[in-house]
Amino acid sequence: MEEPDAGAFAFTGDWRDYAPIAFTNLLLTIVTLGVYRFWATTRTRRYLWSRTRFIDEPLEWTGTGMELFIGFLLVLALFGIPLLFLQFGMQTLIFNGQARLAFSLAFLAFAMIFYLSGVARFRMLRYRLSRTWWHGIRGGSDEKGWAYGWSYVWRYVVAAFSLYLLIPWAMMSLWNDRWSAMSFGPFPFRAKAGPGAVFKRFLLFYLLPLALFVLLTIAGIGMREGETALDPAAAAMMGFLFLFIYAGLGVIALVFYAKFFRVAVGGMSLSGLHFHFRARSRDWLMLILGDIALVVLTLGIGAIFLSYRHWKFFITHLDATGEISLSELTQSTTAAPRQGEGLADAFDIGAI
Amino acid sequence: MTSAGPDERIWHYDGQDATRHHPRIDWHAEGFSLVWPGGTSGPHRWSDLVPQGNAGGRSVYGLRGQGGWRLVFAGLPPHDFAVHLPLPARYGRWIDRIGLWPAIGLFALIAAILLFVVLRAPAWVAPLIPRSWEDRLGDTMIGDFGGRLCETPESRAALEKLRRELGDAVPIRRIAIANIKMVNAVALPGGHIIIFRDLIEEAKSPDELAGVLAHEIGHVRNRDTMTALVRQLGLSVLLGGFNGQVGGTINGLLALSYGRDAEREADRYSIEALRAADISPLPTAAFFERMEKRSGGESIERAMSWMASHPVSAERKAAFEDSAVKGGHYKPALSAAEWKALVDACAHDKDVAPPPFDF
Repeated sequence: MEEPDAGAFAFTGDWRDYAPIAFTNLLLTIVTLGVYRFWATTRTRRYLWSRTRFIDEPLEWTGTGMELFIGFLLVLALFGIPLLFLQFGMQTLIFNGQARLAFSLAFLAFAMIFYLSGVARFRMLRYRLSRTWWHGIRGGSDEKGWAYGWSYVWRYVVAAFSLYLLIPWAMMSLWNDRWSAMSFGPFPFRAKAGPGAVFKRFLLFYLLPLALFVLLTIAGIGMREGETALDPAAAAMMGFLFLFIYAGLGVIALVFYAKFFRVAVGGMSLSGLHFHFRARSRDWLMLILGDIALVVLTLGIGAIFLSYRHWKFFITHLDATGEISLSELTQSTTAAPRQGEGLADAFDIGAI
Repeated sequence: MTSAGPDERIWHYDGQDATRHHPRIDWHAEGFSLVWPGGTSGPHRWSDLVPQGNAGGRSVYGLRGQGGWRLVFAGLPPHDFAVHLPLPARYGRWIDRIGLWPAIGLFALIAAILLFVVLRAPAWVAPLIPRSWEDRLGDTMIGDFGGRLCETPESRAALEKLRRELGDAVPIRRIAIANIKMVNAVALPGGHIIIFRDLIEEAKSPDELAGVLAHEIGHVRNRDTMTALVRQLGLSVLLGGFNGQVGGTINGLLALSYGRDAEREADRYSIEALRAADISPLPTAAFFERMEKRSGGESIERAMSWMASHPVSAERKAAFEDSAVKGGHYKPALSAAEWKALVDACAHDKDVAPPPFDF
């Protein structure tokens, strides 16, 4: 089936094809006061999936705007009202001098949101796989994500207690947990990447600000001892330095994430297929700089093309080797979720 | 009975496994069926076909109630077959029915009406809310202000005198001084008016305080706080469809405190009340003047100060100045002793909680 010199994945879209979808989405979202957002997302995905070829057949997105909308309303009913109450209730409690109660409630709310954002990540993936079809077969998961939510909480708590040194481990093991619970047709995904490979880059990200901070402190003490007030030139220098640090940190974070993504996807397989992700740090940097340029130069309107760009980036650098037997790839028996990714939407997680 | 295929340009997945079949399609007016070596599908009704869109020059159809069932044509389906087919959805079912531009026009109109209603309606919804509800809400919100209300018997008497003079007919349930270091006064739901400590220290005379207090009494009389609350609630519901950031920004822009009309009304009440009580409006105008000059300082303080919630315009100052009667017989709002009682209230109240944070 494999065409020579073509990867297993190919993106065949064209931004000029997509532009009418993007602009009408923007227009309809504005005039419906944002309600059309869900149908807009659906149209975008339908386009992107249909222009994503895997081996011999494009993917197909079958989610609907209505189910995303219903998911949104459900989450609003479940969490919006308590959260709203908490917001106003907090003020009232503090006004009444019940600060301790207010803060313990706030902590509780924070913990709940933390747990649910873990659950949301899981359910988002499950929903997307359950609406993704290829050769008339879909994906999904038998789990609902409640257990994953707990492992999300405890792993990040442990990572925090290790002075954040264990963050790569938390990220990687959560990625593996999440994907290992997913399946496509009868085949489970396997995700077995170890965190060791990304740890060095994480240390770079972790130690650089520390080193800079130490340097700056020494410089600051030197200045203090010299009893010189900051002259404009030095102030400009400082400003420039801060900007540099800020941008530099962003780049280092990107360098770490590029490696993380390569390793994480590289550890994944499905039946006889092994996945690879080929984007290097430079590719990620170009993507982000392109995003910024696009948004700035179009005064923000270009933002409607971001999801297109990100998907294209993802598919262009994704590859799979090995084989999958079509006759053994039978229909998924997982229960398909009935509504969309309302939770993820509420916590602003992942936007394609 | 018409047929097409089998050929490479027509393929089918049965949704059971991923094998690709190249079926022959047989159809007539009622419906169609598929036949391929080793299997059949159908007969199916035309109405059960669901267009899945045309990706990359292919036409894809699904079957109602059968998840993975697909019939795909490279290019368009044969013409005699296509006449039976429904059109694929494009923008969403309702929008497709009336067309994109009419739909955009209609939605824009509805959005404009909704926004107008949400911005305007609170003014006539708020008066319909029973006082008892508002009182309960206000009491819950404020409680005892965390024990930060300063009160001595003398200060209570002085405030009571001001209430009688300036708002005897208004359902005020409490006027209190709060031990909070801000130059401001607020009207809260349930007929509560809170004067922050620094306002009294900032005021040069009881007449200035009287003007500001009468302004807040005006808000209570017009139920402006309730209006603002209802408006904010309406906006958050209306803009809930946008994702968090966008909605919040718009909400903040639209719900700016009370709106200028409400402020003007409160000023008008204040001017009237001062006149009825024979208190000079000039000190209040002078107070505005000073507030405007003071609008420097720390940004946090600015945001929490009088200027942030009551922007002073030249027009407002002039309104107070113009209402002064030349050679009018004005009397001070409070006696020297009463004024001193207010100034010292927080210092003399033994069991008041300290200010929460010092700016």
